[in-house]
Amino acid sequence: MTAAEENQPSAESSGTSVDTLELRNIVKRFEKPGQGEILVLDGVDLDVEGGAFVSLLGPSGCGKTTLMNVISGLVTQDQGTMRRGGRDVAPGDLSLGYIFQEPRLLNWKTVSENIEFALEARDIPESEWQERTDRYLEMVGLGDEGDNYPTRLSGGMKQRVAIARALAIEPEIILMDEPFSSLDEITARDLREELLDIWKQEEKTILFVTHDINEAVFLSDYIYMMNTQGEMFARRNVNIDRPRQYDDPAIAQRETELYREFHENVVH
Amino acid sequence: MNRLQRSSYTAASIAALLALWYAGGIAFPEVLPGLPETVSALIVVLTEPGPYGNMFYFHVWKTIEMLFAALIVSMIAGTFLGIALGRNETLESTLSMWIYGWLAIPSLVIVFVSAIWIGFNANSGYFAVPVVITPFIALNMWEGARTLDTDLAEMAEFFGAGRIQTFKDIIVPQLAPFLFASFRSGLSVGWKITLLVEAFLLTRGVGFMFKRYFDNYDLPTMMSWLIIFVIFLIIVEYGVLAPLHERVMEWRPDAEGVRVTE
Ligand SMILES: Nc1ncnc2c1ncn2[C@@H]1O[C@H](COP(=O)(O)OP(=O)(O)OP(=O)(O)O)[C@@H](O)[C@H]1O
Ligand SMILES: [Mg+2]
Repeated sequence: MTAAEENQPSAESSGTSVDTLELRNIVKRFEKPGQGEILVLDGVDLDVEGGAFVSLLGPSGCGKTTLMNVISGLVTQDQGTMRRGGRDVAPGDLSLGYIFQEPRLLNWKTVSENIEFALEARDIPESEWQERTDRYLEMVGLGDEGDNYPTRLSGGMKQRVAIARALAIEPEIILMDEPFSSLDEITARDLREELLDIWKQEEKTILFVTHDINEAVFLSDYIYMMNTQGEMFARRNVNIDRPRQYDDPAIAQRETELYREFHENVVH
Repeated sequence: MNRLQRSSYTAASIAALLALWYAGGIAFPEVLPGLPETVSALIVVLTEPGPYGNMFYFHVWKTIEMLFAALIVSMIAGTFLGIALGRNETLESTLSMWIYGWLAIPSLVIVFVSAIWIGFNANSGYFAVPVVITPFIALNMWEGARTLDTDLAEMAEFFGAGRIQTFKDIIVPQLAPFLFASFRSGLSVGWKITLLVEAFLLTRGVGFMFKRYFDNYDLPTMMSWLIIFVIFLIIVEYGVLAPLHERVMEWRPDAEGVRVTE
């Protein structure tokens, strides 16, 4: 595949299955004190194919979180549409889970109650709470921590609770915003592997934000790259067989290629 | 520190204070009422009807009634005012100067003005005490509202929590420490104002008793009344507020032992 071909994000996705979530021409400006209006998202196109693991790679402050917030409905875009199966969709039509950049747990509630908070908010019948809480805490390896308070957990464990909370509402698409960036590499590696297991086993679609190219290559089917101007400048496939190994030279090689391209486009 | 250690330190400090008092009463009888005299005055206060034939608990109850009625009103008004200030920038820039101005009015002036407006009766107190303590509570809750975590609000919004769920699970727990701090500062300021009102305007309550025995130059009996009310306030703190605070703050990693001050 040549670079020219690859540079057309929509060309690759045309004719994909109906459950692809298509973002088209998303524009978002923010009012910033002292700076006037700043353009955070400049005509962003993005396809999240059903069942795929998609990463969104970009430097700090480029608008990754803003894009996630547009998809989740926390922020309303100034222009652009979300489409699925040929129809416009609103965030409320999608079945979404969200793992924020920080765990965002309620410190005054136990781990189980934190998950129940989400279940209650989603109007899940109370009779299902116990079973769901147990199931998803078990899935993230925190089966014994249900009655503990988040303040007594490590950073990695808190992030696991946040993952369990997102899974518990049984979403189709999970948005993950740099969930492991504040963790040490050893903990992060464990969590990435567990995440891939869950993704496969539960057949979820994941949109994963990161600024770590190695992480993006290890996890993803394909990667979107954004620059500081809020433009999505490339979509690249990873094409490495799963299960992947951290020390696989193919990963290192793909990482180098993407890094070079990233560097050319982002740092001038 | 374990419980036993803590209570032995408390007992030791009480014993030391009593010893100092005893010695001071002998050394400076003009200034400090003697310990034995105070004890006998306290026994008289506790067992015999005072002025207008009322027992001591009638007066204590009247003071408590005014103090807590004022506290309830001020907690509600101050909390709403404080949250409104912390959440609304227009309101904040319009009103913040007036809040500080309000705080600067001497409580004595408020008490006297209430008496002129309303008269020499309990209603003046029910008006003056909340007027004095509401801005203290508002100031506290204002600070609390400013610290509300927007990330958690966003999380709740994403999961689709309704108003009631957001209020009870997200807002109130974050404001809880500020509610306790407000209540405590309201209590300590409020009880002083209640005494002023009773001393100047009324013929019942602990404040009136101070005034009465001040007029008679009866230091031991004044001391007895002080002891009664301070013990009451200590019971409120250690018997009610501290355990409640402990329970509400159970999730804190360092929630060991009773910490009375924030
Ligand atoms: N609510 C808001 N109001 C005003 N400006 C905002 C708002 N949210 C984000 N911004 C601005 O938009 C830009 C993009 O922010 P965003 O959080 O999306 O970046 P990001 O790519 O997620 O960065 P990071 O990797 O550091 O998390 C930043 O300049 C930020 O200051
Ligand atoms: Mg971000």
